[in-house]
Amino acid sequence: MRKVMLSLLLLMALLAVPLFAGGKQEAPAAKQSTSAGFDWKTFEGTKIKIMVNKHPWVDIIQPKLSEFEALTGMKVELAIYPEDQFRTKRTVEMVSGTSDVDVFMLMPGNALAQYVQSGWLAPLNDFMKSDKYLWPDYDIKDIYPAALNAGVRNGKNYTIPILLETSLLAYNKEIFNRYGITVPKTMNELEAAAKKIYESSNGDIYGITLRGKKASATSQWVDFLHSFGGEWLDSDGKAAVDSPESIAATEFYGKLLRLYGPKSAPSNSWYESISIFMQGKAAMVYDASVFKPNYENPEKSAISGKVGYAIIPKGPAGSIPHVSNWGLTIYSGSKHKEAGWLFIQWATSKKMALQGQLAGIPSARASAWTSPEFKSKDTSPEWTNASIASYKVASPLWNPPVIPVGEVRDAMGAAIVAAILGQDTAAACKEAAKAIDRILANSQ
Amino acid sequence: MGKIMKNRTKYTFALPALLLMVIIVAFPIAYNVFMSLHVWFVASGSGPRWVGFKNYITILFDKRFWNSIRVTILFTTGALGGEILIGVLLALFFNRNFKGKSIIKTIFLFPIAATPVAVSLIWAMMYNYDLGIINVLLKAVGLPPLLWLADPKLVIPALVITDVWQWTPLILLIVLANLESLPSDPFESAKVDGASTFQTILFITLPMVKPAIIVAAMIRSIDAIKTFDLIYVMTQGGPNIASENLNLYIFNQGFSYFRMGMASALAIVLFSIVMAVNVFLAIIRNKNTT
Repeated sequence: MRKVMLSLLLLMALLAVPLFAGGKQEAPAAKQSTSAGFDWKTFEGTKIKIMVNKHPWVDIIQPKLSEFEALTGMKVELAIYPEDQFRTKRTVEMVSGTSDVDVFMLMPGNALAQYVQSGWLAPLNDFMKSDKYLWPDYDIKDIYPAALNAGVRNGKNYTIPILLETSLLAYNKEIFNRYGITVPKTMNELEAAAKKIYESSNGDIYGITLRGKKASATSQWVDFLHSFGGEWLDSDGKAAVDSPESIAATEFYGKLLRLYGPKSAPSNSWYESISIFMQGKAAMVYDASVFKPNYENPEKSAISGKVGYAIIPKGPAGSIPHVSNWGLTIYSGSKHKEAGWLFIQWATSKKMALQGQLAGIPSARASAWTSPEFKSKDTSPEWTNASIASYKVASPLWNPPVIPVGEVRDAMGAAIVAAILGQDTAAACKEAAKAIDRILANSQ
Repeated sequence: MGKIMKNRTKYTFALPALLLMVIIVAFPIAYNVFMSLHVWFVASGSGPRWVGFKNYITILFDKRFWNSIRVTILFTTGALGGEILIGVLLALFFNRNFKGKSIIKTIFLFPIAATPVAVSLIWAMMYNYDLGIINVLLKAVGLPPLLWLADPKLVIPALVITDVWQWTPLILLIVLANLESLPSDPFESAKVDGASTFQTILFITLPMVKPAIIVAAMIRSIDAIKTFDLIYVMTQGGPNIASENLNLYIFNQGFSYFRMGMASALAIVLFSIVMAVNVFLAIIRNKNTT
């Protein structure tokens, strides 16, 4: 009953808010700058509202806001919420149409499809080409294409990345040396390495550990999918997870865990999976690149200092990891879109990207990764090189580009679990494809 | 005139309470029924659409719904059976005087005091295949380790064990309180007539505490049917949907998939089940007391 009440409360909140929606006003004409060129002071005196979630990146930006205000003469109001509340509040504000926010954070892989279809985002393409609003030193080409493309829908740019994560193969060098194994370059070598370690150690050490818990597994499974030549959806927007390539990828993923991985795989999410690796009970793990500090923390990890990093091995279609990122977007109902764009450029500039990079937030800009300042402080160049290699070839798609992301991931997660348990993978993939098509048909 | 005024006054005083009941009980239920007749995919940003009984028909043919019903029944009967059996046995054991009774009794009541989420997290760690204490102990006595939460066949028994661990003390508490308040005459006459301890328990003690057991079963069955925290923390319904009960399925439809109409319809089904079980147990109880 408590759950029911909660849902009712939310529903009532969602229903009630539109009653108070005031009439939207047209944006007042921006103060004209005397010259036609770019000028940071164009919107002097304007106040903009930025909505963000509590993220380490915000901790970097927040103390520097006064620099932006001095540079532009604008006022910035920063509204910070914990991530769960942030997502809810952002959606409720958008649905109600009452939001006075100008710029907000968005994770394109999770919410871009929904936000674009609902018309809540302003396209950025005009700004990105404008002589008047594009800062000459901004250097868009410095941003990794995969990161920028993650924010593209229907040929239009909607988000500018503030950071960029990928997934990496992390391996235990000590175990690799003990069994004479070299870093796997292909999927076949990956399986051979996992097999050799598992069999040589009589099952004491797992060859590899991966996520196997339903929906959570799709985040890394998708890299196997792409590397085998499979896709979430075909060009008509229909489920493609039952193609021969997709079935082969799913079977391979399941087989690695079934034969050489932890028996508990179907109940392992990232936490359980990397814990097994950090205990030294598995020789390899393929998971998010941002877990490096966990692997290398001697208080939490038994293998700190012994970990090597590599890009995902080559499958029939190549090495295709994914990137995921948070981005900044402009609300379509904002009255200060141009001013918001100035803020985005400042917040994602080379200088700010380097600040983040030095504080351990993987940047979406190549210049931050190759800067002498970062290189001189870099404690794990192997991780850095693997990350850069991964960014260069990565796909921006990790979640299916649809609105019911969670539901579709659950449907595919069922097939991945079936593959791990050694059930008929082809049948499970076909069933998942049918379920996905049904979900998409119900989501118009 | 005076009489009518008096009557009105009576109602006036009851009005605030009545109003409160309408607001916090009747309205949400009525609104839930109303919502269950709509399709509302919140994530798309569009509003609710009237579809009549379509959601209920979808539910009838939904494999995942029937799976959740199966899980709910297995979990509830398993947990309830285990808790009543062990709880009553413990109550009989504690229903006599021995040294250190109050200390041991207090220790046995600890699990109820713990928060379910904390209990679930601890048990999830203990069940861990590679690192958990339970498998370490199993291996120590020469038994093979078990895939407690990762094996679709074992996951419900594993959840039942945790629930039994936490809630058996509640049954113990209710039944023991009842045992201790029983009159002593029937037991004395049984002793005089030469009845064995076993016969006394079976033919005198148990029938006398039956109403208390039914009340305890009522409380526990309602809770077990709508268990959420335990399963959500330990398995999130996994592996796949092997431990997804009806309440978790409602949560997923509503807050993972944002399908509010479907979630409302499922909530009505859950509500009906809980009501039906309640009425059933109330009838049994009334039969026993009259």
